[in-house]
Amino acid sequence: MNDRNLVRGLFLVAISLAFGLESLRYPIGQFSRPGPGLFPLLVSCLLLLIGLITLVRSRFGERAHISFNLKNIALVLLSLCGFALISEHLNMIAGIVFMVFCSSFAGTSYSVVRNLKVSAGLIAVAFAFQKLLGLNLPLY
Amino acid sequence: MEVLHNLAFGFEHALTLQNLMFCAIGCTVGTLVGLLPGLGPLATISLLLPLTYSLPTGGALIMLSGIYYGAQYGDSVSAITMKIPHASSIVACIDGYQMTLNGKTGLALFTAGISSFVGGTVAIVVLSFLAPTLGEVAFLFGPADYCALMLLGFVCVSFVTTGSLLNGMAMCLIGVLLGQIGTDVTSGMQRFTMDMVFLSDGVGLVSIALGCFGIAEITKNLDNRNERTPFNGKIKLMPTWAEFKRIIPSALRGSVVGSFLGILPGGGPVIAQFAAYAVDKRFSKYKHEMGSGAIEGVAGQAAADEAAARTSFIPLMSIGIPENAVMALMMAAFIIKGIQPGPNMIAGHPDLFWGLVASMWVGNCFLLILNVPLVRYWLSVFKIPYSVLFPSILFFCCIGTYSVNNNLDDIFITAVFGFTGYMFMRLDLDAAPLLLGFILGPMLEENFRRALLLSRGQFTAFFTRPISGTLLGLIGIFIVWQVAAFSLQARNKTAHS
Repeated sequence: MNDRNLVRGLFLVAISLAFGLESLRYPIGQFSRPGPGLFPLLVSCLLLLIGLITLVRSRFGERAHISFNLKNIALVLLSLCGFALISEHLNMIAGIVFMVFCSSFAGTSYSVVRNLKVSAGLIAVAFAFQKLLGLNLPLY
Repeated sequence: MEVLHNLAFGFEHALTLQNLMFCAIGCTVGTLVGLLPGLGPLATISLLLPLTYSLPTGGALIMLSGIYYGAQYGDSVSAITMKIPHASSIVACIDGYQMTLNGKTGLALFTAGISSFVGGTVAIVVLSFLAPTLGEVAFLFGPADYCALMLLGFVCVSFVTTGSLLNGMAMCLIGVLLGQIGTDVTSGMQRFTMDMVFLSDGVGLVSIALGCFGIAEITKNLDNRNERTPFNGKIKLMPTWAEFKRIIPSALRGSVVGSFLGILPGGGPVIAQFAAYAVDKRFSKYKHEMGSGAIEGVAGQAAADEAAARTSFIPLMSIGIPENAVMALMMAAFIIKGIQPGPNMIAGHPDLFWGLVASMWVGNCFLLILNVPLVRYWLSVFKIPYSVLFPSILFFCCIGTYSVNNNLDDIFITAVFGFTGYMFMRLDLDAAPLLLGFILGPMLEENFRRALLLSRGQFTAFFTRPISGTLLGLIGIFIVWQVAAFSLQARNKTAHS
């Protein structure tokens, strides 16, 4: 599976199948009365075709190495989702602090003092947004 | 001559001290808010709309349009320096960000500023000469014609993508499919929503743009561990004469493309910038540099963006149809002030119409004056170490996503697209065509189905109408040309080896 072109082909085929099979559940209609399923079905068929071409070509072309570093993307996503969840259930100040502390694990160095400073700065910015621009932020 | 008389009349209104002040305030505030990564023109105008409630009508409209242009320019700054785009600055991410990586941020920002000025000026000429009649062009376009126009837009994919054509096409199709998520306009059916309520309104363009560009870019920088070195050298702002000579033709091309596309409903800045980029990649003398930080890649799209932003006022003011969300908001502002935009506006409120046109140009001058000296302050972003910068960028991405609908659920969507964008990047798939597909897809579907309904399923309708027939013919010629060029290239290669 360590072949970029192969993975790309599989990825495209997977997306086209996901959308294409789902669109079969909607009324297709006829060309004179197109239903909601017709257009997505046409587009996913085209995408499936491109995916298959990519797959076939990957058998002949050179293999390209693919590298994933799941740690960083996971940390970034975790801090985004954490921010949203905490802001929804607690308040946004806690969300900001969580996001700064969580995401900076992905950085090159980790410093609690710096994180506190960044959080304080961002909270100040958030207050400015709320008070000066009238953004509706659930800060507290 | 009548036009000159009208323009003079307009300047008389725009150049009163009070209106000048409103214009200056609008541009400044708009730029400042637009600069914040994640807040685009739409968010900025909706945030600042209440500011204008208490102003006199003329001043309020002048200030709002100032906010609009300011926000648009500010947007391109965050796209060029940090690759965090908004709808109107997606293309600036391609060459603009490359220029930043090459250490030419100052030049890129200056180019964007001066090209916007050129684009705005050309658009104002178009606006004042043609606004009274041009609005009617939009009436000539039927569903089949729009369909053909959208397809022509897809041809742009082959230019916008930096990688292989096949991958660009794939990404564009994925974009079209993503645009299908939500409620079907024709039948009211929920599609691809997986029974989640917050998806019934579709996925926001902002979520996709911030996820695929902003979040993915942050993660890539973190993966590479390349702490961007704080920038302390002297900032080169002014272009050399040779560079300047490259900006102008490209900016002019972009202005013409932008002015035209801005008039068509559903067109507007977003599509105009892609089209201008495509035109530059085909006709520029330096087309081989496009994608790796060419000045033309910034100049053309900035001019088109600005020109389209202005000419998109034409359908609003001449026939009363807002062609995109920003214009709908402007229309709301008109109505709040008791003015019904439409055919009677030019005749009924000539002072407002021509005053607005004139103030657009004044606003342009303000933007230029404001931004050229301030570019070095925008650049101070680079003096912040990345370990401080990236949590802040994440925060701004969150706020930007949230502020569109005041909905925290949108942040989850951004996160999903952050991951998808990361996958795309690792798989060598380019995200710009995806956004093009996402923007054009829903319009293409709507008009495709409408055209088929009207013609009772006859595909000949697409070829027999004069406008759509011509456009489809152009697409055909273009494809033949591309294929011929491609096979010629391949033959040359084999001959060489």
